[in-house]
Amino acid sequence: MTLYAGSIAEERRAASLPKRTGLKRIFDRNIHAYLFLLPWLIGFFGLTLGPALVSLYLSFTNYDLLQSPDWVGAANYVRIATSDPKFAAAMQVTFTYVLLSVPLKLAFALLVALAFNRGIKGLTLYRAIFYLPSLLGSSVAIAVLWRQLFASDGLINMLLWRAFGYEGPSWISNPDYSIYTLVILSVWQFGSPMIIFLAGLRQIPQDMYEAAEIDGAGKLRQFLRITLPLLTPVIFFNAVIQTIDAFKAFTPAFIISEGTGGPINSTLFYTLYLYQEAFGFFRMGYASALAWILVIIISLFTAFSFLSAKYWVHYDD
Amino acid sequence: MSVMLQRRAVLTAGLAAFSLAALGGGRAFAQAIRLRMLWWGSQERADRTNKAIEAYKKIKPDLTIAGEFAGWSDYWPRLATQVAGRNAPDLIQMDYRYIFEYARRGALAPLDDYLGKGLNIADFGTMNIDSGRVDGKLYGINLGVNSSALMFDGAAWEKTGATPPSQVKTWEEFAENTAKFGTNKPKPGYYATADASGLEPALECWLRQQGKSLYTPDGKIGYDAADAGKWFAMWAKMRESGGCVPADIQALDQLNIETNALTTGKAATAFAHSNQFVGYQALNKAKLSLAAYPRISADSVSGHYLKPSMLLSVAKDSKGIADAVGFIDFLVATPEGVDILGVERGVPASSSMRDQLATKLDGVSKSMVQFIADITPGVGDLPPAPPPGAGEFAFVLKRIAEEVAFKRITPEEGGSRLVQDADNVIKRK
Repeated sequence: MTLYAGSIAEERRAASLPKRTGLKRIFDRNIHAYLFLLPWLIGFFGLTLGPALVSLYLSFTNYDLLQSPDWVGAANYVRIATSDPKFAAAMQVTFTYVLLSVPLKLAFALLVALAFNRGIKGLTLYRAIFYLPSLLGSSVAIAVLWRQLFASDGLINMLLWRAFGYEGPSWISNPDYSIYTLVILSVWQFGSPMIIFLAGLRQIPQDMYEAAEIDGAGKLRQFLRITLPLLTPVIFFNAVIQTIDAFKAFTPAFIISEGTGGPINSTLFYTLYLYQEAFGFFRMGYASALAWILVIIISLFTAFSFLSAKYWVHYDD
Repeated sequence: MSVMLQRRAVLTAGLAAFSLAALGGGRAFAQAIRLRMLWWGSQERADRTNKAIEAYKKIKPDLTIAGEFAGWSDYWPRLATQVAGRNAPDLIQMDYRYIFEYARRGALAPLDDYLGKGLNIADFGTMNIDSGRVDGKLYGINLGVNSSALMFDGAAWEKTGATPPSQVKTWEEFAENTAKFGTNKPKPGYYATADASGLEPALECWLRQQGKSLYTPDGKIGYDAADAGKWFAMWAKMRESGGCVPADIQALDQLNIETNALTTGKAATAFAHSNQFVGYQALNKAKLSLAAYPRISADSVSGHYLKPSMLLSVAKDSKGIADAVGFIDFLVATPEGVDILGVERGVPASSSMRDQLATKLDGVSKSMVQFIADITPGVGDLPPAPPPGAGEFAFVLKRIAEEVAFKRITPEEGGSRLVQDADNVIKRK
């Protein structure tokens, strides 16, 4: 308390001094903080904000990396909006992926978290095991494994044949199914939302359940009336994070199709298309425009989530 | 401690060099030249290249070459970023498709002045020298001669009573025999051939047999929708007759040796490049053979041409162009360098080097040299330079071939769509 009061007094003193030295004093006082922040500040300005602004400029140019950029105005954006069939294909693939993988992954993560929350033995071990896929998930090795699982003579088809006598297609290389194998890959990496759900479940006071039970509420009603409403902040957090991640998904599609987005553009994720344009065909300007459109889409989604939050997210403290 | 360090430094050649370099101003090192070399390829290629660099060090001790390598798909982004950052490697392994893009954008040094003066490649023959020329100037030195080729498991073909690709003359015969293979196939899920309908070099060869080409010299599409439709229809027929792998098997192919239907045990024939023969044989238990492509008619031209499997270029901004050229000369025109590289990058372009190397090769490498020698009398000219943006065409062809194979569109529709999309690609800036 005394410390706090002291700092207010100091601030008052600082405020009474002329402005010029006031600024200087604030800086002097905070220099240590800035020094500690320096690595982050350098990273933020040098590696995030700087390149982002350059890419905004490049999005209005034609730039092939070898020659200097040519200003073309909004031409890149116009082409994307009016005459780019691959952009449409990439949007379709990406939205299918986001709209399927995020809800399924969250539902699955919540289900497992609920099962773990019943106080089973060896929880730490199980939690670690179920978290494992998330650690491996975006790696090259897993994408390669996925190819093996869902190929024509992969494990999945072997099991289907043994169990039902059904001869499955080559799921991963069939344009009708390939995107769903990637959705499953994403759902399988439910570890981090699960851990967060588990922490959220622990926060719910036990006496609420006891009271509900005395009032005669069954398990389902307890879940719908207590667990779910009190968990909405955590669900909200997970949904926002997972949606942003899903829009940015790249590695699985890149590895599984070797960068082509095939077969027939069925795994052409937005980021993969962006990568092709930038590094496959050296259209850096066009790729920058694509990147900014993705930034806008993700921002809109996030803004929409936050605006809708006040209607369904329940903050109770 | 310092005595220990000193002793180690004397013992280890590498450390000795390092400590000298650390001194920084030694007179001997004032003239030291450091070059960087970047290439794509496998570990095998890296080992051979590094060995060549080591060997060259004995010849020119004051020249240090630092090698970097990457896989094919990572290579081009890395090279483009380095060139854009004015940090280009001095020695750049170049592909025939990309050399036009890099040379025309002023990233490469013309090497004509070194011909006969440090670069002794006169016995490459005109064609193998010209394959490194862009707009009349020499920007790349052929590192190995290559051509499209069929690789097949002869025993598997014969077991089914079908005539293997080396003995058929025309595409029609080839298709008939794949069908025969399909009827008598030894096991389910095994086919006569991989599907090459989406493979750019295969379509190109087929077009050349009819006197057409992918691109005309003035940068336009060298075939029409009907031609492309016929190409897709031919493959559709092979799929229907059970001779060619179905669409979802072909789509597992990632255009490398490891995932080709031949290597994964789904087909008895692969459409590939001759320099990959060593790699294919290494991954396949069955003994493989090489064959030229079937032809449109028994008396048509073969459609093949000798292309550089890769080239070696020098960056325009390099501070040691002459030294870089010296190393290239070592790699392609001296027995020592040529022997170290072997035929891993293709058959040496120099006839004298090829002859002296041939006596030292094993059976697999020898058959590859033999294949190039066999097709050489019938090869045609190099195709005209592809127009800018043509790099994307390989993706377009693959996608449309898949649309036909998965029966989303008919072969005829595929033909007209291919011409239209190819045209869009090359018209785009």
